[in-house]
Amino acid sequence: MNPALSLRNVRKSFPGVVAVDDVDLDLYPGEIHALVGENGAGKSTLSAIAFGELQPDAGSVVTPPGGTVGLVHQHFELIGRLRVWQNVLLGREPRRGWRIDEAAARERVLAIARRDGLEIDPDAFVETLPIGVQQRVELLRELDREPTVLLLDEPTAALAPAEIESFFATVTQLAARGTAIMIVTHKLQEVIAYATRATVMRHGRVVERVLTAETNVDAIARAMVGGEVPPVAARAATEKTPCLHVKDLSAGSGATRLNDFFLDLRGGEIAGIAGVEGNGQSTLADALAGLIEYTGTIAFHGTLGVIPQDRQREGLVMNWSLVENTLLGRQHRKAARRGFELDRARARQETLAIRDGFDIRAASVDIAVKTLSGGNQQKLVAGRALIDEPDLIIAYNPTRGVDVGAASLLQSRLVEARNRGAAVVLISFELDEILALADHVIVMYRGAVLGAFDREAFDRATIGRLMAGSS
Amino acid sequence: MTRLSRWFAGPLGAIVLLVVLMSLAMIVAGTSPVDGFTALLVGALGGRNEIGETLVAATALLFPALGIALAFRAGLFNIGAEGQLLVGGLCAGALGNVLTLPGPLGITLMLLAGFIGGGAWGAIAGWMKARFGANEIIATLMLNFVAAYVALELVSGPLKGPLAAGAETAWLEPKYWLPTLLPGTRLSIALLVALALALFLQWVLARTVFGYDLRASGEAPEAARRSGINIARLTWIALTLSGAIAGLGGATIVTGELHRFNTQLSPGYGFTAIAVALVGDLQPLWICLAAFGFGMLESGGLAMQASAQVPKDAIHVIEGLIILVLAARRYVATRVEGGPV
Repeated sequence: MNPALSLRNVRKSFPGVVAVDDVDLDLYPGEIHALVGENGAGKSTLSAIAFGELQPDAGSVVTPPGGTVGLVHQHFELIGRLRVWQNVLLGREPRRGWRIDEAAARERVLAIARRDGLEIDPDAFVETLPIGVQQRVELLRELDREPTVLLLDEPTAALAPAEIESFFATVTQLAARGTAIMIVTHKLQEVIAYATRATVMRHGRVVERVLTAETNVDAIARAMVGGEVPPVAARAATEKTPCLHVKDLSAGSGATRLNDFFLDLRGGEIAGIAGVEGNGQSTLADALAGLIEYTGTIAFHGTLGVIPQDRQREGLVMNWSLVENTLLGRQHRKAARRGFELDRARARQETLAIRDGFDIRAASVDIAVKTLSGGNQQKLVAGRALIDEPDLIIAYNPTRGVDVGAASLLQSRLVEARNRGAAVVLISFELDEILALADHVIVMYRGAVLGAFDREAFDRATIGRLMAGSS
Repeated sequence: MTRLSRWFAGPLGAIVLLVVLMSLAMIVAGTSPVDGFTALLVGALGGRNEIGETLVAATALLFPALGIALAFRAGLFNIGAEGQLLVGGLCAGALGNVLTLPGPLGITLMLLAGFIGGGAWGAIAGWMKARFGANEIIATLMLNFVAAYVALELVSGPLKGPLAAGAETAWLEPKYWLPTLLPGTRLSIALLVALALALFLQWVLARTVFGYDLRASGEAPEAARRSGINIARLTWIALTLSGAIAGLGGATIVTGELHRFNTQLSPGYGFTAIAVALVGDLQPLWICLAAFGFGMLESGGLAMQASAQVPKDAIHVIEGLIILVLAARRYVATRVEGGPV
């Protein structure tokens, strides 16, 4: 069988770094191929080259005649104020004379959706849809182009367990129809469960090619990091002191409204908020951080550190340096100033401390954070939230879209904060993360508490059922 | 991109484009660009008087440009500098007519009046935006017209000088004139005030907490809000200061140059200053350089018109093009780099 896409001796360098170094890769019709590697290993560059978005410095990218390549980005590129069908068919709308044939457009979207098992309302406005459904829209848009090769960049980073299953059902079906699929991902369990082959990259080179049937998560993780994966810090016995008391908390409106939420959390504990995205978690985080109006009680005295949901939009000024970003949210403290000026020497020291403590890979602390990989940006945001040793930490998907090594490091830092006596509210869409770190689990569904468990009583199946709304 | 190449892609490129466009205009007008530019340069820098006039124009542009840049850095488009200049000038002129104080103290108070008047004018737009979410571009633009007609009405009636022939206030006593900087020219020490202000703003933006908050709000509003910045408050402070700086400029024109207030105070300085701010990359120190360049165009343009038959208005057409090119470039750059638009 001939490959649907072949990369030969592909090389691409950016100022100061060789992002992709002499890589060969073949994608065959009908396979689900996983491309894995740490942040900065060159996965995104390689998929951009495969898609044709970037020109390689050397080497070739070959598709057979008639072959087309589609790419679904990790960060969706949708227009929120347009309807689903308008997004899917943007630029390729069926016409009748001068006008768009809306009936035909709707029918075309529904036809693809039915064929590939993607349930969708073509008339819904995209901004009203949950992330999981928005991703279906992205996928539909690519599928309408009938690609022979489909590249998916971190497709499940924002999805709940059930959504992930249905997503892979679709992908498997696409592969069965003969599409060559490549998934760029950090989630190794998914690689083993759904992919047929995996290519592991490190420092721009391919270090291993395996059949997933013949390997396991640990072996792939070791190949990615080039050694053993650092273990998450151990949970120590802690002295518990009352820290946060939340009662009858209501806030927000619509689908993400918070209803009579309650939570009691002591210092030295991690409360894991489990739930499918869009069940009021962001409203909870914003209310706790004092960013929105609420009714009810939030009793808390002390300092607060926040790792926000969307690091690029809510946590960073992308054009600014690491040093300037280290001050963000901390610029109004007395200690940040010297006279009328911001104490830049001190901020630089803090940035260096965060860089070392969180292993941020950056050529210098004076470069713009937009040049960092997502994982390194996340480390900076987390490091900034933790550096002042706050009494309460709100961590919203702290390891979203970061690789194994970085995730383990970030989780360790949270556990260490807990061990020193901080209270941590860990909001995560990854149940495994919550079960590994939390002292208590609170299951959120439609803005309310549907169940609460102590660590001894953790039961994956029960919690999973509650997350789906059935008690 | 490095700082230098970024500057070349923007301001420096704009200057090259300006030269090319002006050359074309000269060729169309039947003059060789060499003659045209010679006339322009001689007209702008050919002697003490020419240099003085260039610096007078540069000073008049520098104040509003600094104000505009301050608002722009906060993500706010203040195109009301023209009106803020007028209000500032009017307040200074009106106060100067009734003062009976020693010269330096009177001048200081007049400048302060201009600062406050322009600030109040900017604050109206700021309040509308912060309170009701009104678009500051529309608000500041419309307030230009309000300022122009209110000023005209006042100097036609209640504030009209007893001996004035047209719509203007009475002349200021010479003790309220800003001291001359370059003897034999109209250049006053307003230039020094403007340069000191530029230095000060550069420091404020780069080093202080306020400057940090301002830049954060302009670069990433959501991240800024979550960092504890009160965006509504910052919006009106930024627009108020922006207007105040322009108003101070209006006051220096009155005390330093016209020695009375009339509505011909500004031949569009408040609009040209937008181009000055953009060419200066919104950085106060670069803006000083840009203001000097545009000052040359203002003062050399007349000479060019006389000897090279290129209409002076052509310069304004070309300045307009520069604004367009730079605004488009900023937009394209943010799009390409994936930052906020």
